[in-house]
Amino acid sequence: MTLLFSKIAQNNIKTVITRNNDLQILTISYRKLSIVPSLYDGKEDPAPKFFSSNVQVLLKRLTRPDFNKVFRKRTNSGLAVLRTPKYKFLTNEELEAEILKANKKADVLLQMPPVVKVHQPVDDVLSKDPALVGYDSAKYLFTDITFGIANERRLIVERDPDGTLRHCGHDVRKRLNQTYFPIPGRKIKEPMMFTNEDRFNSLLDRQEYEFLLDRACLQYEPDEASYQRITSITYQHIDMNKSYDLLRSTRHFGPMTFYLTWHQSMDSLMLELLQSGAVREGVLLAALRQALLGDVANGDNAQALAQQILPTPIQLAKPERLTEEDIQLDNKCVECIEEYIVSNSAMKSQQELALQGFREHYQQLIELSRGLKKAHGNA
Amino acid sequence: MCSKLLSMRSLIQPTNAILRQVLICQNKTTPNLKTFTTSPVTCVNFFNKLPAEKLWKSVTSVSNAGAKKGRGKGAGRIRIRDLNRGQVIGVGKINMLWPGLSAPVIRGRELLKQQRLPDDPDRMEKIIQLRDSMTKFRRIRLSPIERGWSGSRMPGRSIGAPDPIGEDVFTGFDTKVLQLRSLLIMKGSLGRTRNYQAMVVTGNGQGLAGFGLGRAKEAPAALRKAKNRAGQKLMHFEIYNGHTIFHDFYTAFGKTKIFVQKKNEGYGLKCHRAIKEICQAIGIKDLRAKMEGSNNLQHIVKAFFIGLLQQRSHQQLAEEKKLHLVEYRAENEYFPKVVASPSEVRTKEEIPKDETLDFTQYVMNDKVILKKKKFPPFYESMPHYKLHLKKYEKYRNHEKIRLNLKSEYGEVKSFLTDKYPEEKVETET
Repeated sequence: MTLLFSKIAQNNIKTVITRNNDLQILTISYRKLSIVPSLYDGKEDPAPKFFSSNVQVLLKRLTRPDFNKVFRKRTNSGLAVLRTPKYKFLTNEELEAEILKANKKADVLLQMPPVVKVHQPVDDVLSKDPALVGYDSAKYLFTDITFGIANERRLIVERDPDGTLRHCGHDVRKRLNQTYFPIPGRKIKEPMMFTNEDRFNSLLDRQEYEFLLDRACLQYEPDEASYQRITSITYQHIDMNKSYDLLRSTRHFGPMTFYLTWHQSMDSLMLELLQSGAVREGVLLAALRQALLGDVANGDNAQALAQQILPTPIQLAKPERLTEEDIQLDNKCVECIEEYIVSNSAMKSQQELALQGFREHYQQLIELSRGLKKAHGNA
Repeated sequence: MCSKLLSMRSLIQPTNAILRQVLICQNKTTPNLKTFTTSPVTCVNFFNKLPAEKLWKSVTSVSNAGAKKGRGKGAGRIRIRDLNRGQVIGVGKINMLWPGLSAPVIRGRELLKQQRLPDDPDRMEKIIQLRDSMTKFRRIRLSPIERGWSGSRMPGRSIGAPDPIGEDVFTGFDTKVLQLRSLLIMKGSLGRTRNYQAMVVTGNGQGLAGFGLGRAKEAPAALRKAKNRAGQKLMHFEIYNGHTIFHDFYTAFGKTKIFVQKKNEGYGLKCHRAIKEICQAIGIKDLRAKMEGSNNLQHIVKAFFIGLLQQRSHQQLAEEKKLHLVEYRAENEYFPKVVASPSEVRTKEEIPKDETLDFTQYVMNDKVILKKKKFPPFYESMPHYKLHLKKYEKYRNHEKIRLNLKSEYGEVKSFLTDKYPEEKVETET
């Protein structure tokens, strides 16, 4: 086992402490925005629920992936200049294989950042050697840099001037891991956009949510309090402005939905779904709430309906023609949402209004498609 | 030539002396018969006998043989000047006021009298300056936007839209001159005569373009003819995504061969200047063209237009091959985008073994562009280059570090800057 140790001057400890103080000040000042970040630091751990296959499927479906947006041109796609497109002649089988490959790539691009509990502070004294008191004025850090060990399982210990040998705290661990095994794009010092309140707020005001969330994923670990605070504020800002469409087809929509549902504030998302006529996704959202909180009236019905909805293709735009099966399924969905509104919703009147609007629109659509079918004959 | 002018000046002086003598003679009240001579006094000389035109000709003319050798051209050439320019009747060397000629007779209530005014010392200088400005050669200066490929020469310059025909106006069109040259032709009665030939391309930048050839005795007429003919021969070209061609192609006319490549957005036009002008007229923004063989301009133009016309759309290509045509873009993570599908698709078994399936090879008709090997620059094998590499190795990340420090601290500083503030004060002073 190779061991590297570094000597940190006393004043470095001070900087760590002062930084912690900064963070506290920041959390207070965010309240100017009237957004209070809520972290996953309660008794219940969200991870088992988030990683359960049932919830993952629901979250992925709610993301409503549109391949035009998933594979869109990005400013940070790593190309200094654009490349000339390439062309291929493909048979049907080859094309199917290519599309399958693209689906797999889309799954990678849409992999959701994990939602986990905030980590506990490390307080693990390995030994106390009174013989070493006053040996040096600095503390020593020892890092195991053996190849092939995961960063979170790496052995990093510190020897204090008073002779105590202990495991390092999360901040020091992160710094040393980044020093010896740098993650490209991650900075040792926190970027200004997260530490400077004005800059952070300006990003929110400009609705650069995806940029913010992507950078936060890169800079922080998912179990860090800073990460959860930043994402929480961003999600709430999105919820306030109802700009859910900006996150659709990205990997952040799932965690956002999870966050809103976990904190029982997904009613404006439900309203947006109803207003845009996506009743099926409304049912999925109700099913998600049932899976997470288990407080939806007739929740098993919603979950059973969700299983029926999942095999149907994703509706990226409003349908123009309807089949009889579609009509049946949608009617069931409407009934399910009605129940949800009556028993669980916090925005009853608005959601009822939206649902009524959907019903009227849907009735016209049914008449139109039935009339067309009649006109064309049954063939 | 200059000596000729000097000799003219020496001639002028003696004539003046004679005139003065004559005047003196007239002023005397009693003629002195002693000075009287019977020999004739000639008041007519070379200068007042001949008109200015002939005088100038005698100075500027070059013999026929000399002209053939190129004499009387270029620097030092004497040019005809209009000596009357800048001169006004009534105003002369002596500044006199002539009522009724150089001034009104009555000014206000006062009757003006003939009188001498103070001399204007700059008068002669001004006239000489005016005369010089006539003779000195002035180059036509064009604004950088109006310039052609080479200064004020016509090729590459814009000559506006073709003339309207009846009520049909060519709105949004612009014409660029590609070639303007003089041709010499022999005529039975006139011998060798000069003709001008112009080739232009006109287009609206939105897919419509045409080229024309015009011949005339004068250059402007040839340009006009070519321009109007180009307006009559417009062709329409589809532009892929509004910026480039549909696919790579090979085209040739005579001994001129052109390999044209489709390029990404922002690539620009990297090709022969004539092809660039044509592309701009059509509205193509990104393309690369490699020429081989003859670079006869008219052949280039014709070959390129033929190549563009022979392009096949994606749907046509898919139908020809009976296969899906799929586009992959790096910026879209190589997502397979189907750009064209045929009405019926062949299976793998139906495709013969020796069929070309590679897209580029298929659209180029199996022609391959010669890619020359790129050799390293000559200096890379020299000892000083290795020395340079060694010397600058330690600076290789400095730019990045500077940028990072500036973004983090607002200035270039190290961890020692705060520790030793006195150093900073010293460097500032």
